[in-house]
Amino acid sequence: MCRLIGLVGVVAFLVTAFSPLANRLNQWTAVPPELEPSDAIVVLGGSISPAGMLSTESLRRTNYGIALYRRGLAPILVLLGGARAGGPTEADVRAEQARLHGVPADAILTEIRAHTTREEAARVKTLLRSRGARTILLVTNAGHLARARPLFERAGFAVHPAPSDTDVQADSPETRLELMRVLAKEFVGWLYYRVAGYI
Amino acid sequence: MEATFIAALAGLTSIGAYYFGARTLGLSSARLGAAIGKMLESVGIVLIFLAVNLAIAVAIVLAMRALTGAFVSAYVTDDTVWVGLSLIQGLAFQWWRGLSANPSSEGAG
Repeated sequence: MCRLIGLVGVVAFLVTAFSPLANRLNQWTAVPPELEPSDAIVVLGGSISPAGMLSTESLRRTNYGIALYRRGLAPILVLLGGARAGGPTEADVRAEQARLHGVPADAILTEIRAHTTREEAARVKTLLRSRGARTILLVTNAGHLARARPLFERAGFAVHPAPSDTDVQADSPETRLELMRVLAKEFVGWLYYRVAGYI
Repeated sequence: MEATFIAALAGLTSIGAYYFGARTLGLSSARLGAAIGKMLESVGIVLIFLAVNLAIAVAIVLAMRALTGAFVSAYVTDDTVWVGLSLIQGLAFQWWRGLSANPSSEGAG
């Protein structure tokens, strides 16, 4: 039994590292973009270091949200993300980035209390309800959108997916393994949300 | 290109190790298949440790959320260190099994 598990593991490792499997799976599971004019752009949280450094994924989402705002696709930019170990909040660091890139301060909304995608949907609903926003451009990585989109639709929004990583291609063994790890993580998260009845 | 280089180099060093083992160290070529089987067994045990570690970690996170009401991130499982720790656990367990079955080989090599 251990040998069979080991064989499956070794084959999976080699195929993932040395074939386009991870990229193909990523394309297959990704939610395609629908970049339509909306009431707000909602950029989901990634992660931030205690020293206030945005992760690569967080920065990618932030930059894409800013780019969508500058293209005039929505008048409001909602930035999410809490803090780690008493450091600055992700949303505040992102808001500073947005202001530096010319987004007016009164167009930026931040939400720092949500810990999970489900909580983000609930908090954004509260935040945008008073502003009458019904349609949103939802910015996160393509794999995450499969879980995030139905949550925001359940919160009452018409969602236009805006994946932040459509041009990302894993072209080395290490990046393919990393991509497969992300895909596996998103699959487990999606499965958990399905089983729990959240989506 | 990068993947081809890495795969080719690993292939060359594997062939080199085979000839070094067979000709210089006098290892039995016929036992290579059994050795690969043992390697797969070790990888399997490491993967079992990884799965058990991650399953217990998720269960503890969910239990803490339910019992305390405080938020504990499930992303504690999203760390490469689990692979390294499972490797150490799996290899130690595999060697323990092997040495228990054949105590005379202890300290050999």
